[in-house]
Amino acid sequence: MTPRVAQMGLGAFSLLFFAFIYAPLLIIIVYSFNSNPVNMMLWDHFTLEWYTGLFGLSERGPEIGDQNRSLYLESTDQMLHALRTSLTVAAFTTTIATVVGTATAIALNRFRFRARRFYNGFMLLPMMMPDIVLGIGLLIFFVTIGLNLSIVTIIIGHCTFLISYVFIVVQARIAGIDPALEEASADLGASEWVTLRKVLLPQLAPGILGGALLAFVISMDDLVITYFIAGTESTTLPVFIFGMIRRGVKPEINAIATLMILASVIIAGFGLWLRARKTD
Amino acid sequence: MLEIRGARRIFTTPEGGKVTALDRVDLNVDENEFVTLLGPSGCGKTTLLRAISGFEMLDGGTVRLEGADLSKLAPFRRPINTVFQSYALFGHMSVARNVGYALEVRGVDRAARERKVSDALETVGLSDMGSRRPSQLSGGQRQRVALARAIIAEPRLLLLDEPLSALDRNLRQQMQLELKALQARLGIAFIFVTHDQEEALTMSDRVVVMREGRIEQIGTPREIYRHPRNRFVTEFIGETNIFALTVDRIEGDLARARTAEGTCLSLPAAGRSRGEAVTAVLRPESLHPGAEGIAGTVMRSVYLGSDLVIFVRPEAGGAEIRVTTRDGADAPMTGDAINLAYDPAVIHILEDR
Repeated sequence: MTPRVAQMGLGAFSLLFFAFIYAPLLIIIVYSFNSNPVNMMLWDHFTLEWYTGLFGLSERGPEIGDQNRSLYLESTDQMLHALRTSLTVAAFTTTIATVVGTATAIALNRFRFRARRFYNGFMLLPMMMPDIVLGIGLLIFFVTIGLNLSIVTIIIGHCTFLISYVFIVVQARIAGIDPALEEASADLGASEWVTLRKVLLPQLAPGILGGALLAFVISMDDLVITYFIAGTESTTLPVFIFGMIRRGVKPEINAIATLMILASVIIAGFGLWLRARKTD
Repeated sequence: MLEIRGARRIFTTPEGGKVTALDRVDLNVDENEFVTLLGPSGCGKTTLLRAISGFEMLDGGTVRLEGADLSKLAPFRRPINTVFQSYALFGHMSVARNVGYALEVRGVDRAARERKVSDALETVGLSDMGSRRPSQLSGGQRQRVALARAIIAEPRLLLLDEPLSALDRNLRQQMQLELKALQARLGIAFIFVTHDQEEALTMSDRVVVMREGRIEQIGTPREIYRHPRNRFVTEFIGETNIFALTVDRIEGDLARARTAEGTCLSLPAAGRSRGEAVTAVLRPESLHPGAEGIAGTVMRSVYLGSDLVIFVRPEAGGAEIRVTTRDGADAPMTGDAINLAYDPAVIHILEDR
């Protein structure tokens, strides 16, 4: 095989690889603009009505009778409510998990104490645990201690495993930082607190940010664990969508999915941009 | 100025064993003195330095600076600064902010800080580099930034932990001279850690040779080189020939002694007695081809540019003798029979065998 053929083969393989990964996403995006309300796999013509409908901006099309219209609008309200719940949960969880995970990573890397290795292992366990086990465990736990299922239980539940994710990302970063940096800071007259603020945290910033973004995205995305510990009043977006699909697929799902893809891309792009700016 | 008394530090290895890193070390450093801690890795020199900077707590003994006990003081409260082996520059700050860090954390106002930073950068010859990032500098420049950062707060004592080990040979030699000049100009004491004996001899007012947590010898470079106290110091400071001798007889000013194999040497008679066993040191540059002396055969030679090192097997047998001589048309060739002449006065007898 000539190098040229080999190169073309490699190119074709790469193309197929990316097609395999991105084709499903692409299909969702395309059909989110399809106006056919009955069979969404059958292309009709271009429309934005699923998007405008999502935000209650357009009256629904003629094929739904008046009696269905109020039902439809109610479900849109529910969806927006679920989105708000998801964002609130993600915001709280990200903050808590980032602070606790970062502090734990610093403690386990910079201080030598007896049970260090033991702690290290236990920090990783929630990540390895099957979601379904964690979900059931949390549910039983909350019921046992008499805590009503609500947005609070979702936040607590998400924190239990997202702390591990932040911990791992920050730990990888901290392991690569020369301990002499902190010694140099102390040597030049900085107290431990000043060293943490002026040297350690800025050095860790890309890791902390990466961990926070990861925690945010996973929290927004989690279905299995949330399904167990979300009360009836506090449904997150993934749980809501899952419920929607069971009742029959509505075309709005494509629009929601496309918006979620867009949000993920923006968050990831933001993270990459910050990282490129920080590294030197 | 700096007084260390009975410094002890014992490490526990992960396997539960004990390693004595410092074993009752006493050391004085005077004002404006350049002292080098020299020894192989694991000799305790870095531990001693870290005990002075405060990153290592002693298990016993005291560290006093101008009479004040530092032993219980945290590193950031000690009026001592360090140049780290890895430089430890803060990558997220500009060069100027790195240099001004000690003033920044002390709350010195911006104008005064900027003035001192530009002075310090000028001192190390990096005036126009203030706005760069450390990652944009060469190894030698980073070294200078680390130096500027460490002297800006005008410490009483500057510690340098093998700061030149990452530089190439030419730059290292240049920095050695610059460091020495800087120390003289600043008028503060330097304690310099290295495992490179040449570096130690070049820069120091006094050299402290360490081994296994103990100080083997303290002296000026000349004393250490010419009058090493024992075999370890002798071998660590430069290449050398060591002879185990028994004194045969005394003839006037000279004592005649021989090795177990029968090679004869003449030593200064002062202090020698018949039948005494002594260890004699004869540096390679003190031997030269001559009409009489130790007879032997040139086994091989190593060309070093200006010098030629030849290895001579004594006629009577025993270890090869190392000789430094000048290269030239009459330089000894491998296989030549040769006599190695020397001045008996330069033979050094180790007091501690």
